Amino acid sequence: MPDPTDKVVLHARDVRFDWSTVPAHWLPGEPVASHAMNTLHLVLPEGERWFVRVFKQALPHIRDEELRADVLGFIGQEAMHAEAHQGAADHLAAQGLDPAPFVAQIEWLFRSLLGDRDLTGPAEHQWLLERLSVIAAIEHFTAVLGHWVLTAPLESAGADPTMLDLLRWHGAEEVEHRSVAFDLYMHLDGRQGRRLRAMVIVGPLLMWMLVRCTRWLLAHDPQRPERPRWRDYRRLARRGLLPGPRELLPAFWRYLPRSYHPRDEGSTELAVAYLASSPAAKAAG
Amino acid sequence: MVFSGAGSGDWSAPPDLYGRPRADRAMLGVARVVSGVLRLSRRGVRRQPVVRPVDRDLRLVVRAVTAEADGVVSLRLADPAGAALPPWRPGGHLDVVLPSGRCRQYSLCGDPADRLGYRIAVRLVPNGGGGSVEIHSSVGVGDVLTVRGPRTAFPFVGRGPYLFVAGGIGITPILPMVHAAERAGADWRLVYTGRTRASMPFLDELPGDERVSIVEGMPTAAELLATAPEGASVYLCGPPPMVAAVRGEWGGALHFERFSAAPVVNGKPFEMQVGVGGPVVPVAADETALTALLRVRPDAAYSCRQGFCGTCEVKVAAGAVDGRGRALSEEDSMLVCVSRAVGDRLVLDV
Repeated sequence: MPDPTDKVVLHARDVRFDWSTVPAHWLPGEPVASHAMNTLHLVLPEGERWFVRVFKQALPHIRDEELRADVLGFIGQEAMHAEAHQGAADHLAAQGLDPAPFVAQIEWLFRSLLGDRDLTGPAEHQWLLERLSVIAAIEHFTAVLGHWVLTAPLESAGADPTMLDLLRWHGAEEVEHRSVAFDLYMHLDGRQGRRLRAMVIVGPLLMWMLVRCTRWLLAHDPQRPERPRWRDYRRLARRGLLPGPRELLPAFWRYLPRSYHPRDEGSTELAVAYLASSPAAKAAG
Repeated sequence: MVFSGAGSGDWSAPPDLYGRPRADRAMLGVARVVSGVLRLSRRGVRRQPVVRPVDRDLRLVVRAVTAEADGVVSLRLADPAGAALPPWRPGGHLDVVLPSGRCRQYSLCGDPADRLGYRIAVRLVPNGGGGSVEIHSSVGVGDVLTVRGPRTAFPFVGRGPYLFVAGGIGITPILPMVHAAERAGADWRLVYTGRTRASMPFLDELPGDERVSIVEGMPTAAELLATAPEGASVYLCGPPPMVAAVRGEWGGALHFERFSAAPVVNGKPFEMQVGVGGPVVPVAADETALTALLRVRPDAAYSCRQGFCGTCEVKVAAGAVDGRGRALSEEDSMLVCVSRAVGDRLVLDV
């Protein structure tokens, strides 16, 4: 049984990043890996703002003051993640890789397709619960990826320090708040069928979306990198520069049993230690 | 671009990602999947579980009140029936609801292995928010207090080496960390400062060797950090000027407790109407608009309480706003956690 005290009070950090010196291929000589992680700047700002909107709708239903405090802390952290990645996306545009066409699709996905859909009454409430189960499934992967980025050998591959700090600060906060979305879903609904349905859809869709975004970024990169191949991915995963199938597939299965709880994913200790030395988090008020 | 369609009806997807003159086929596929999920979600109405309220309040009895130093008392809190209390870690705190209804956070400064009692320590601050005065003057042995927690806002991690820096009552979260570091056999140092030795609690609970530096007065940041072992993580708790000084000086790993909200200074009272035709709440000079809003809208969203995260942004229907905090996403809105009225009245559009 994991230690129930392995949980911290969540608060947003007022981080700032100076993008002026960060190259588009911030992992030197590795356009595929750089863009595979640049996808986050295109997908996350809209995605995390959507989390915030959905969680705000959930607030009035919460009957647990500790969970409410966790949810409020989560919302602030997610809002700051969205802003930070937005800065990185704007910087990509300034370097001649305008993400607008891709972002337009992401906006449509999160604002229209996964938006409120003009529902009322019980259908509206069920759609809220459904989206909470989707967010819990996504947050499982963000915790897995957060733990991955805290431990991946990106420094020794020469990663730009500002970009690495963005990814690790974000990853550490994902690990810090990894239980909130799941706890919220379990508090307001908790049905296993809905949880499984969310993961069966989210897992493949999320991976497909990130691959599609990586391809699109590489195709529109003004530096004209070579066309990506799957063997590039296998090489990068072997070197630990991208999360490999051995991390991602077991993560999918781990979410399915009834005994799943996010506290078993990642390490609060590692996250707290990183946040104590992250340049951006240390400078934040 | 309008992507209309309520419920699970027809969906027009966005344009093709690579500029072909048609709707994006992949996104049409995604729309079909999501519409299917939306239809399925409606079946969830059947056998909808009820949300069970969770009561985490502990009612604890004050077993002892002990004078620890000039102006500092400690309270020992225990379960009235002697049951074991929820576990905690160094850096944990309690939310204590005082008899007046004030709620204050106090670091746990006892031994985490002692499951039968919590110890907190409180310095008397005569011109503070009144919580410490209340504890010093009207809480006694046998009183029952409502307590929430323990929770951890100042987590203690790693294997050392450590430099602990405590200023005054800031020793409370640090003390259990020092003992944990000692038990783990870690390399550690402590610098503990205070106005005078007589005002510094728990001096007799610290190891009496050269790893502990007791300093009267306010040393510079460089002096505070001088004994740090090579590669140390600094754990810091003290008054804001001390925290600011050490943050400016120390380049290594730094752990400190963040204050979630700055006190309101030079605020003017005003009235705030919550929604056109809604209730009017007074906002006192020393409270934020958010605090007042939460009295009538306890489900209002907020997070950082410092004006940077944007969560609490609300539309303003009438009244001039003394806007503070980060740029707003919409005109005619305000961040209620830091902004106030220019005049004596605001109407929120919520």
